[in-house]
Amino acid sequence: MKKLLTLVSAAFLLTACSGGGSQEAIDKYGSDTLKVFNWGEYIGEDVIENFEEEFGVTVIYENFLSNEEMYTKLQTGDSYDVLVPSDYMIERLIQEDMLQPLDLSLIPNIDNLAEGVKNLPYDPNNEYSVPYFWGSVGIVYNKNNVPLELLEEQGFAIMQKTDYKGRIYMYDSERDSFMIALKALGYSMNTSNEDEINEAYEWLVQINQTMEPAYVTDEVIDYMANGVKDLAIVYSGDAAYILSENEDMGYYCPEEGTNLWSDAMVIPANAENPKLAHEFINYILSYDASYANSNHVGYASSNQEVLDELSSGMYADNEAYIPRSGYEKDEVFVYNKDLTAKLSELWVKVKIAE
Amino acid sequence: MKQFAKMAIPYAIWAAVMIAIPMLMILLYAITESGNGVVTLKFTLDNFIYFLTDPALLRVLMTSFKIAIYTTILCILIGYPAAYFMSKLNEKYRTTVLLLITLPTWINMLVRTYAWMGMLQVDGLFAQILGMLGIGDVQLIGTEGAVIFVMVYNFLPFMILQIYTSLSKMDKSYLEAASDLGANKVQSFWRVTFPLSLPGVISGITLVFLPAASTFQISQLIGQGSVPMIGNLIESFFLKTGDWNKGSAISLIMAVIIMFSMYLAKKVDKDPSTRGRI
Repeated sequence: MKKLLTLVSAAFLLTACSGGGSQEAIDKYGSDTLKVFNWGEYIGEDVIENFEEEFGVTVIYENFLSNEEMYTKLQTGDSYDVLVPSDYMIERLIQEDMLQPLDLSLIPNIDNLAEGVKNLPYDPNNEYSVPYFWGSVGIVYNKNNVPLELLEEQGFAIMQKTDYKGRIYMYDSERDSFMIALKALGYSMNTSNEDEINEAYEWLVQINQTMEPAYVTDEVIDYMANGVKDLAIVYSGDAAYILSENEDMGYYCPEEGTNLWSDAMVIPANAENPKLAHEFINYILSYDASYANSNHVGYASSNQEVLDELSSGMYADNEAYIPRSGYEKDEVFVYNKDLTAKLSELWVKVKIAE
Repeated sequence: MKQFAKMAIPYAIWAAVMIAIPMLMILLYAITESGNGVVTLKFTLDNFIYFLTDPALLRVLMTSFKIAIYTTILCILIGYPAAYFMSKLNEKYRTTVLLLITLPTWINMLVRTYAWMGMLQVDGLFAQILGMLGIGDVQLIGTEGAVIFVMVYNFLPFMILQIYTSLSKMDKSYLEAASDLGANKVQSFWRVTFPLSLPGVISGITLVFLPAASTFQISQLIGQGSVPMIGNLIESFFLKTGDWNKGSAISLIMAVIIMFSMYLAKKVDKDPSTRGRI
């Protein structure tokens, strides 16, 4: 619902903001409007306005709810100047020649990039993309009801412990669910080995059969902030918010590895205003904009200085804010078209298995 | 008269664009395989076979109809007496009661469902009341019972209004005739009032059963994904897996079953054995 609201307000903004550009901007960039397509609830409060003021341009800012939705819109011919897709989707867009290479000389702030988001495998030299937010997927748990030792011992398999029957939230997405199953079984989350996938399928079916899980998406944020259940699979940034709202909650990433993901800014091949797009990317990487974004949204910043400051300041005791590094088994998603289709079909069946 | 026939043209265009073409598209998707281009159409029955041979998918279909049938029966059991007493009420009060019954429908169904979601939640209002009564920790949200409950709540006004309309239209002289001929109150209800109100019950069933069988928000929000219904399956095939062909095949199977049950209901309605007792 919250996202729907954002969408509606974005539409209002769209109509309200037309015609604020300047001749200066047109001379410099060739145009005074920039079309940005980003996730809902993913930007600091005044970031867009400040950018508009500073550069004398108008930003048309639209939201999407999933990578797939964004991809479908691109395919129907909509043109944007800046997109913020996730790792595997960027890989797909690169493979399908839908992005244009970046001119890094126009993005000097790239030197601010945090250690953790440098040389990511989907785009090792930042040829096409510049990271925006990054994080992990882990377990939010109620510290009063779930001992940390048990979590450490069980890892993701705690989702199969019948002591917590009816007390768990699964994330209703095939990618994240198969990720935890494959990790719990000790496999790579990017496997295309049929046997391993079937084993993961059975692992998930067992949860459905014995644990009375609730399958939710964004609702989980409110539920866990209110302490409705004991265990939930949650994205780190949402977890950071939950932890800041409810001090009984903790965040844990199992030793057996998890998904390290990142969302990054890219310029589509059909962008009408690539010059201004570079300026925008550079602006987002600046200290002020990065700080406003990360502070407001709770996801880990791609700016090292901001990351250091927030993790020792506002998010000091919040184990969900900084994505961990140095775990060998943590992985990044790799795009595989056939696998995506297969997993999503299996996921439908997991949820109806008895 | 001929120039009046022309006035139907906009309606015909509207019906074609909004009803006929989408239905044909669903049919086309259902009997083809997914390819990248629309040009390479390949006809197949695999989508239907996939669905009809998978016990888990068929079980979801059964659950949907079971939930829809329970919802409809409960709506009749609660709605009929309500409508009956309303039709007996003094004119003065009727409009007020009618208003009270339609009042909740002024608010969007989704909003009302969200409200129930909070109340049925673990540690929600209902759990607290049950706890105070000493019944203890009962899981309400995420159960079939909760889904049926919220559906009955949402669809009950449609049932009541339909039955009420047919009851209040009824010619009272039939009842007078029945009592003249020696029927007692119970007899005249079962042999006069009830048969005459059947058309209302049937259209009430249509209005309740159809949305109940195909809902996906109520089962998602109240069932929390653990009470899968056919609507949720169709939704995930369209939006999540992106397999429009299988989604269309399921929709089509669903449509056929619903059409068949509506045909049966209409048949009961027209059956002389239920009508001729007057």
